[in-house]
Amino acid sequence: MSISRRTAMAVIGAGLMAGMISFPAAAQTVESIKSAGTVKIGMMVDFPPFGIMNESNQPDGYDADVAKLLAKELGVEVQIVPVTGPNRIPYLQSNQVDLLVASLGITEERAKTVDFSKPYAGISIGVFGASDTEVSKPEDLSGKTIGVARASTQDTAVTKVAPQDAKIQRFDDDASAVQALLSGQVELIGVSNVVATQIEQAAPGRFDQKLELSQQVQGIAVRKGSAELLEAVNAFIAKAKESGELTAIHEKWLGSPLPDFVTEAK
Amino acid sequence: MYDFNFAPVVASFDQLLLGAWLTIRLSCAAMLLGLIVSIVCAWGKTSGPAPARFVINAYIEIIRNTPFLVQIFFIFFGLPSLGLRLSPNGAALLALVVNFGAYGTEIIRAGIESIQKGQVEAGTALGLSKLQIFRYVVMKPALRTVYPSLTSQFIYLMLTSSVVSVISADDLAAAGNDLQSATFASFEVYIIITLMYLAMSIGFSAIFAAIDRMAFKYPLSR
Repeated sequence: MSISRRTAMAVIGAGLMAGMISFPAAAQTVESIKSAGTVKIGMMVDFPPFGIMNESNQPDGYDADVAKLLAKELGVEVQIVPVTGPNRIPYLQSNQVDLLVASLGITEERAKTVDFSKPYAGISIGVFGASDTEVSKPEDLSGKTIGVARASTQDTAVTKVAPQDAKIQRFDDDASAVQALLSGQVELIGVSNVVATQIEQAAPGRFDQKLELSQQVQGIAVRKGSAELLEAVNAFIAKAKESGELTAIHEKWLGSPLPDFVTEAK
Repeated sequence: MYDFNFAPVVASFDQLLLGAWLTIRLSCAAMLLGLIVSIVCAWGKTSGPAPARFVINAYIEIIRNTPFLVQIFFIFFGLPSLGLRLSPNGAALLALVVNFGAYGTEIIRAGIESIQKGQVEAGTALGLSKLQIFRYVVMKPALRTVYPSLTSQFIYLMLTSSVVSVISADDLAAAGNDLQSATFASFEVYIIITLMYLAMSIGFSAIFAAIDRMAFKYPLSR
């Protein structure tokens, strides 16, 4: 009967795991962050120039600068927690971070799970490929392989416009998707203008933009129901836009002022 | 409390089943091919010529001392620059076979070395050919000795296959990640795929136990 006992143990184990992760997704307040003295901010470190690891192996980039500025505004220390594209919302939901400054594009679907601040950054998304690949409209994607980062906004955008017989290959992050393009494993990729700038630096003249799919604004995310915290974050963003600090950070990392569609967005 | 909502997961359950089916096919193919690689390399390592032993040792050391993630990246992103371009699923299979082969070789080599020299000499005395001796006198009892470690390595292979989603192969982990990113019901999805991996492991264990009873019970049946 050893097998049935093992099966029973396995089922109990799985039940325990399910029990362990059913903790409360508690709302966060400014008060509790201030009393803790530290704000835990989740950001991606594989999404240059928004999130990178710098020479001394510390998180850096646009998001890191915004996170530090936000912590300064709140008058607390900042603790940056590295997250990835697919796990950033689970990190927030499971109380491992207080806020996400993780280049999280504001979408209706995500807004069901988290609350977004006003936009603090923005990127446009397009389809890029080798200069001699002929694509000028979404129908031309037919029969082509397109790499995207799984669960990203560009994944949704490409999936939406691509015809049925286009093969969409989903990688864990932009770096893998770009690698797939550079090594010829995919013909096209859906990425942001920011990543495209880096591809241009890595392989000048080989690739260009085929389609522009969308402009996407990004917001700072908090857990559902943290209205007071959200208000404080919104006030911070409005102030940073007003004072030009946000534009200065944008100039530093992206070499251009904050785009108008971010500044004017509500 | 976190609100569990399994409805979106149940609605897209066919996606997960499709992913699980690829995981099963990938694992079975990698087990069979990996076993062949292991037997050939184990034979080469124990009784092959010196250059073959050197190559096999190098292969084992490289694979057993590097992470699977790096190996699969190398095969998928690196080989195209040498002119070999594989589909994501093809690259995943190759990576699993190469990875299992290194571990399987060492397991089977241990089995072969457990066979006493006298047995082989007895085979020679009975006039068996070299191949017959390797097959009946060495391989079968060797496999029987190492069968438990071999099957746990097989199960480990099946679980390792969850990594192949990083090169966009459509296995169960990839299907789960796709579903998670579409519904944001991450806990629900991971609970379900955990249970599915568990079910597959238990299923494979049962099959291995049945094979054990059929193939290796010979001295007890008398």
